[in-house]
Amino acid sequence: MKKIIIPFILLALPTLAQAAVGATQLEGGFKIGPSIILIAILCLFVLVGIVFRAKDTNDFYAAGRSISRVGSGMAIASNWMSAASFLGMAALMYGSGYHGLAYVVGWTGGYVLLLVLMAGQIRKYGKYTAADFIGDRYYSQSLRTVGAIIAILISISYCVGQFVGIGLMFKWILGLDYQWAVVVGGSVVLAYTLISGMLGVTKNMQIQYVIIIISFLIPLFILTFKFDYFWVLPQIGYGAVVTDIVQGVPINDISGMMNSMGHEYAIVPSPEYAMPWDPATGKTFFQWMAITFSLMIGTAGLPHVLQRFYVVPKISDARWSVVWGLFFICLLYWSAPVYSALGKILSAHPEVGKLAKDAIVVYTAQLGEVHPLIVGLLAAGGVSAAFSTVSGLLVAGASAFSHDLYVKVINPKASPRLQLTMARAGTVLMAIIVIMIAILELGLIGELVAVAFSLAGCTIFPLFLLGIWWSGSNRQGAKAGLMVGGLVSIISITYFIAGKQGVVLPFDEFIGYYLQAWYFAWIGAPLSILTNIVVSKFTSNTPLEIRKFLVEKVHS
Amino acid sequence: MNENNQFHISFFKPTTEQARKNRNIILVLVSIWAIGVFGFHFLLRAIEKPTPEPVLIAFNEVWENVKAEDANKAEMQIFVRSALQVTGKVFIKPEHRVALDNGITWATFQLADSVQKVALADALQAFEKSLSQVEVLSDKDYISKRNKLTALAMVPLELKSSDLLSKFIALELRSKMTNEFTVENKKLVEQAMPFYTIHNQSVLTDTQFLGFPFHYFYSAVFLLILFIGICWFYSYKTDKMNKRMQISE
Repeated sequence: MKKIIIPFILLALPTLAQAAVGATQLEGGFKIGPSIILIAILCLFVLVGIVFRAKDTNDFYAAGRSISRVGSGMAIASNWMSAASFLGMAALMYGSGYHGLAYVVGWTGGYVLLLVLMAGQIRKYGKYTAADFIGDRYYSQSLRTVGAIIAILISISYCVGQFVGIGLMFKWILGLDYQWAVVVGGSVVLAYTLISGMLGVTKNMQIQYVIIIISFLIPLFILTFKFDYFWVLPQIGYGAVVTDIVQGVPINDISGMMNSMGHEYAIVPSPEYAMPWDPATGKTFFQWMAITFSLMIGTAGLPHVLQRFYVVPKISDARWSVVWGLFFICLLYWSAPVYSALGKILSAHPEVGKLAKDAIVVYTAQLGEVHPLIVGLLAAGGVSAAFSTVSGLLVAGASAFSHDLYVKVINPKASPRLQLTMARAGTVLMAIIVIMIAILELGLIGELVAVAFSLAGCTIFPLFLLGIWWSGSNRQGAKAGLMVGGLVSIISITYFIAGKQGVVLPFDEFIGYYLQAWYFAWIGAPLSILTNIVVSKFTSNTPLEIRKFLVEKVHS
Repeated sequence: MNENNQFHISFFKPTTEQARKNRNIILVLVSIWAIGVFGFHFLLRAIEKPTPEPVLIAFNEVWENVKAEDANKAEMQIFVRSALQVTGKVFIKPEHRVALDNGITWATFQLADSVQKVALADALQAFEKSLSQVEVLSDKDYISKRNKLTALAMVPLELKSSDLLSKFIALELRSKMTNEFTVENKKLVEQAMPFYTIHNQSVLTDTQFLGFPFHYFYSAVFLLILFIGICWFYSYKTDKMNKRMQISE
């Protein structure tokens, strides 16, 4: 093996070094070095997917419940660390300063709710999918169907942001048009998910986590070292970068440090970057709180996140996998603001022009003159982040389509082979829909993903919260609550789409501010919970067998 | 009690010792979580004060005379420096940049003598032409025209080459704005200056911690540690409680 690998490396190195030159432009055409890295990583994913591929439906849905605590934590983190985390979070902070931290706090703080209110109980309930839980707990086939449809919608909405990220990175690496980049990238991720299924996905997620975090951290060490900050721990060292932005960096304070375009490492005092809800960013205190809250409850209601707790062997493992998962996630979340802060100074000169915010992680590394191959690895890490999440989302969506809709509602006698075929058909259908929406470029990655969180917060979260913690919540209450949460979601998303199409609807400004698509769950979720409680109080009791199951199995 | 009333789960009315303890842990941890996130930000909101940057104070001192087109040389220079500070900021709306550019261009040409004016106008036109044609910013012709314009503009403004503002003065000059600072743009500048230079500050934003403004450290670093800590504590406590109560999950 060594005989093959060593000459290959020796031959490849000069090619990569030469190819690196092409990657120095912020945009530009086809970049060979990053392309080779990307292809190598994708081949690795597919190989792992084939080796650990799903053999039956049990494998496809829940990976045979054979994953360790730390492994499951890595899979949770990889599943979670999407293009929104890898690319979108830095973009939000780059574009709106302190406001972007609402996404950092929201996307991590939700795990506290998920752990203390959901994880163990979901595992004890012993269902495969979110719709399964809803259908059984609320003893309603129609709620199961609606739950499955919502899970599919959430998966689609979440996937759109990921496909935008995949498109941007494929565009940067391959030099394709954005539209073609989305189609090519989307097709690759689809092929990979179809080959591997969830068992492959889970194994792959552990490898993906390692690649994602390494590719994200290496440029940070280089950049902080290069610009004379505390590079040993960039996640703390960048505090001085933030302060530099606030106080300004005059030219005579630095010694010949430049960005790749030849501009001095300097910036005029810009406190608006770090000060809370600064008017210059156009963001308010209310929006900060609403986004944080919506993302937190959305986290605890996302089907593909909840689904991960079915794959751990023991209930205690479900809890510890959250602790490990959150720790692994935080490694990236502590680091993302470093890119936006350094990117702000490196792109401060007006000559740099307006950069695509969602690619600021890569641009920062380029502007900081990090070696092009490392920038290529960073871009490939961004693709991996999107891949790991998309494959989980497609599996969750396909599970909802095949398991909850087809088997439980349409054809209960379907053979395992037919079930697997339907799961794969569902995956293809979802991917096509997502590609079509992603091409429209409706918003920033982080914002598009936040829509999925609000949708989950308004619909799935109240059903799980009350379903687990209050046996009094019954079918009628669940239906009423879901209708209210759904109504708020429909209003918000309708106004969002209308706004994008240039259509002005009544109360446009009011709805656009208080029920914006990124954070409508701040009001939708409490209203849904309240409605569920009130209607349940005035209607018949939850059947005895359901209450017995909750007492004896879920809370014993 | 009949069986129908026996089986009931409510978070707030636990029926077993384990459920009661679990509820108490959850209530304490969720309270810490909520106060840590939302309580802190309510506090941040409550104690903040709109605080102007020094550049706004300097601007306000000269603005009335500049607006009335009655400013002396030093006042005009202060005005241009203030406006340049804002155009170099990290967030700026395009309409505000245009208005500020109008003020900067007009004031620069007002400060120039007749010979400098001609040279500036020629250099500006040549630079704009080069800018519209340039494909890569490392183009030598583009750089030489930019540097020439910068050198000429620095003279009336008395900017030094070590001054950051001198690095982007060329990009803020516009050949169609040399003669007049329009009333519309004066109004926009009047709005823009406080808009970009007054910030919500307090002791929590002004205190430094590990190099960070404290509130920034709190949200970007500490809260994440707190979340992990809460999760770790809950998992540890639950395992311990289950062991003590001999509960097998």
